[in-house]
Amino acid sequence: MMKTTTIAPGVTLRYVRDTRFKQGGFSFQLVRPMVREEAAKNALLPAVLLRGTRKSPDLRAVTQRLDELYGAAVSPLVRRVGDYQTTGLYCSFMDDRFALPGDRVLQPMLEFLRELLLDSLLENGAFAPDFVESEKKNLISTIESDRNDKRLYAMQRLLRTMCAADSFGIPRLGEIEDVAAITPEALTKHYREILRTSPMELFYVGSAAEEQVISAIRPLLDALERTPEPLPPQTAFAPGPGEDLTETMDVAQGKLCMGFTTPFTNRCKELPAMQMLNVIFGGGMTSKLFQNVREKMSLCYSIDSAFYGTKGILLVNAGIDFDREAITRQEILRQLQACRDGEITQGEMTAAREALLSSLRSVQDSPGSMENYYSTAALSGLAFSREGYMEAVEQVTLEDVVKCANAVQLNSTCFLKGGK
Amino acid sequence: MTRTEYPELDEVLYHQTLSNGLTVCVVPRKGFTKRLAYFVTDYGSIHTQYSLDGKNHQAPAGVAHYLEHKMFDLPGSRDVSAEFAALGASTNAFTSYDMTAYYFSCTENFDECLRLLLEFVSTPYFTEESVEKERGIIDQEIGMNEDAPDSVVFENLVQAMYARHPIRVPILGTGETIRQITPEVLYSCHRAFYAPGNMLLCVVGDVEPETVVQIAEEQLGCEALPVGKKQKGWAEPMTCPRPEITAKMEVAMPMFNLAFKCEPLGTGDGAIREEMVADLAAEALFGESSELYLKLYEEGLIDSSFGGGFETIDGCAMLLCSGDSEDARAVREAILAQAEKLTREGLPEEDYLRMKRSALGRRIRGLDSFDATCFRICAYHFSDFDYFRFPEVYRQITAEEIIAFLARVVKRERCCLSIMEPVCEGGE
Repeated sequence: MMKTTTIAPGVTLRYVRDTRFKQGGFSFQLVRPMVREEAAKNALLPAVLLRGTRKSPDLRAVTQRLDELYGAAVSPLVRRVGDYQTTGLYCSFMDDRFALPGDRVLQPMLEFLRELLLDSLLENGAFAPDFVESEKKNLISTIESDRNDKRLYAMQRLLRTMCAADSFGIPRLGEIEDVAAITPEALTKHYREILRTSPMELFYVGSAAEEQVISAIRPLLDALERTPEPLPPQTAFAPGPGEDLTETMDVAQGKLCMGFTTPFTNRCKELPAMQMLNVIFGGGMTSKLFQNVREKMSLCYSIDSAFYGTKGILLVNAGIDFDREAITRQEILRQLQACRDGEITQGEMTAAREALLSSLRSVQDSPGSMENYYSTAALSGLAFSREGYMEAVEQVTLEDVVKCANAVQLNSTCFLKGGK
Repeated sequence: MTRTEYPELDEVLYHQTLSNGLTVCVVPRKGFTKRLAYFVTDYGSIHTQYSLDGKNHQAPAGVAHYLEHKMFDLPGSRDVSAEFAALGASTNAFTSYDMTAYYFSCTENFDECLRLLLEFVSTPYFTEESVEKERGIIDQEIGMNEDAPDSVVFENLVQAMYARHPIRVPILGTGETIRQITPEVLYSCHRAFYAPGNMLLCVVGDVEPETVVQIAEEQLGCEALPVGKKQKGWAEPMTCPRPEITAKMEVAMPMFNLAFKCEPLGTGDGAIREEMVADLAAEALFGESSELYLKLYEEGLIDSSFGGGFETIDGCAMLLCSGDSEDARAVREAILAQAEKLTREGLPEEDYLRMKRSALGRRIRGLDSFDATCFRICAYHFSDFDYFRFPEVYRQITAEEIIAFLARVVKRERCCLSIMEPVCEGGE
C-alpha cells in the first residue's frame, strides 16, 4: 500500500515499502504549471544538475560516484501531467542487501541526490556556462531528433494545431528557440525560485523503513528555504476549431494521425468506460482498428489509438501507403461508428477489461512502474485509487462504452506524405 | 527438476530437459502478479541455409521473420491474439538475427495461456491466401524501417563491414526476397527449427515449476523430432571490405555507427567470460565514466545520445558505438588513439574495480525486469551458459584481460564507420 505524508510545507512523500525488488527507486519532482515561458527551462534543468557538483565537478566524476554506488543511475525526469510540468531526478539503486558487508547504498544515494540538487558547480553564482551551453545543445538535438521519428513528428504536428489554445499544445520539452535563449543566470534564478515556491513530490519504493527514508532525505529538506505556492487546478481541454493538415517529407511510408476530443478526463467517473472504449477501438492487437484496418484490409503495418486522460484526447496513428489515405481515414471512422452503434462483442468487452485490469495489476511489479503511476496519478487528479479503479473497470457495461463512443468527436488530422 | 540456488542474487532456478529435447527453465518469483513465458527457438534471420533429412535447403532472406508473423494463424480461423486477450494476457513475438521468441505475459489464467503459447508455436498452418496477405503487412514494416535512420545507418554499417556473414541482410529481408516465400518454404523451416530439441521454454513469475513441465509434456508430446542442421560458411577475415560508408536521409543531426570487428564467440564459460571482458573493455574505452567520454562530450563531439557496447550474434561479433556527431571521423580517431593509450598505460586498479562493481550492480538491478531476465536466460542458454552465474565470471576477470582485448580489437583495419548526413544542411 502506498502511504502519502506531507513531510514539510508543500512537500509530499509517497512511500511504498516493498521487499520483493533487488533495487530501490526514489524520485524528486518540482511541480510547475505547463507554460511556454518556463517549459524549456524546466526541461533543461535536470540535465544541467547532472553535469557536476562542487565535490564531483564533471560528468566523469559524477559517473564514478554512481559506479561506486554499485552502478546506481540518476536520470532526468521531465513530465507533462495535464496542465502541469514536472522537473526533477529519478534514482534507481541496488538494494542494500546485495552490497558488500558493511556497505550501504540508500543513504549515500540520497546524500548524493542532495548534492546534485543543492550543491551544483557554480561560476559567479550561476550554473557553469559550458554545462548550460552543452546541455542546451543536447536538448535542442533531442527535440530535433523527434523529427527523425516520423510518426512522432506527425503526432506533434497535429497536437500543436489541435491544442493551440491549450497547454497540451506546448511541447513537453519546450520550443527550440526558447531553449536557445536560456542563459546560465536566468536558469539559476529560475531554479532558485521554483525550489522555494513549487510543490515538491517525493516518491520512494524499496525495502527501507519510512523513518530511514525520511531521515536520509532530511538534510535535503533542511537545506531549503520554502514558501510554497499552491498550483491552479487542472483544467478541461479547450479545443481549437480543428484543421486537416497535409505535409510533404522525404518518407517511404505515409503517417496518418487523427485527433479526437472527448469530454472525459482522469477526473471523471466515466474514465474506466472511456479507457475500455480506447482499448476496444484501437488499443493493441485485438482492437477494431488492428483487426480490420491492418489484418482484414492490409492497409497498414502499424495502427493504434491512445487516450490521454489528463485532457480527454484520443489520438489514432497509422503508417500507410501514400495513396491509401482516404480509404484508411474512412475505415477508421467506420470502426468508431461501429463502437457508437454498439457493435461490440462480448469477447471485445472481456479482452479490453482484462487488458486494463492486467495493466493496473502490473503497476505493482516494478519500481519504475510504481513510481510512474503513483507520482503522476495524484497530480493528474485521478478520481480513483488503484484498487477503486480496478473495481470500476469490473463494473463497466456495454452501454457505458457506447455512451463514451458517442461523445467522441473528430477534431483535426495530419497526414505526412512522401515526395519533396 | 534440478533446483539451483543463487544466494548472492536471491534467485532460484528450476531446470529440466524433457524427453522430447525441450529445455524448461523456471524462475519462481513469489508475490508478483505478472507471469511471463518465453518460448524460443535457436533460429533467426541468418539461418537461411540448412539441411534436413539429408537434403540441403536455401530459404529466401526474411523467412524467419515471415514465419514468426504467420505462426499466429491457427486452423479454423482461430485468432491467437484474441484468445490471449480473452484470458487477460498479451502476446507478442520478435525475430532477431539468431533467435525467434514468442511470449506472453499475464496476471491470471497462467496455465491456459501457457497451453495456448505451446500450441500455437508448435502448430504450423499456412495457406496460399494467408501467406499472400501477410506480404502487404511485411512490406509496410520494411517501409517503416527504411524511414528509420537508426536502422538504415546500422544496415549500411554491416554491409560495409562484412563480406560474407548474413548479418549483411536485414532481418525482415527485402521486398524482393519476401516475394519468394511460399507456404512450402515456411513449413520446411518450421519443421527444421521448431522441433522441441531446438527450443527453450523459460518462465519467470509466481508459478509452480512442476506444472510448467507437466503442461509442456502434455502439449508437445515426448517424441524427439529431427532438428535441421544450420550451414554456416561464414568465416570472415578480421578486416572490413569498406572502412567507411556515408548516406543521406532526412535527419536533424548527422549520426553514426562505428564498429570494430571481433572474433565470433564460441559457447560455454569461455565465451561468456570473453563477452563480459568485451563489455568492460567498452566501458573502459568509451563508457560514461571513461576519460575519453568526458573529453569528447566536453569538446561537443558527442552528446547524450552516444552509447555503445559489445554485440554478439551467431558467427559474428563487434564492438559498436553510435550517436549523433558533427564529426564522426574525429570520434573514430579519438577512440583509436585512446585504445593505444590504454594499451600503453594499462588500466588503473581502482578504475577497474569500480567498473566491475558497477557492472555487477547493474546486472543485479536488471533482474527486477522479468523481460530482461527471461531474454538473458534464453540468449545465454543457447550459448550453453547459466546466466545466474554471472557474478563469479565477473570476479575472475582481470584488468590485463580487458587491456589485451582492446589491444587486439581496436585497430584501424578492423574499424568500420557508417555515417548518416542530413539531406540538406540546416534547412527544411
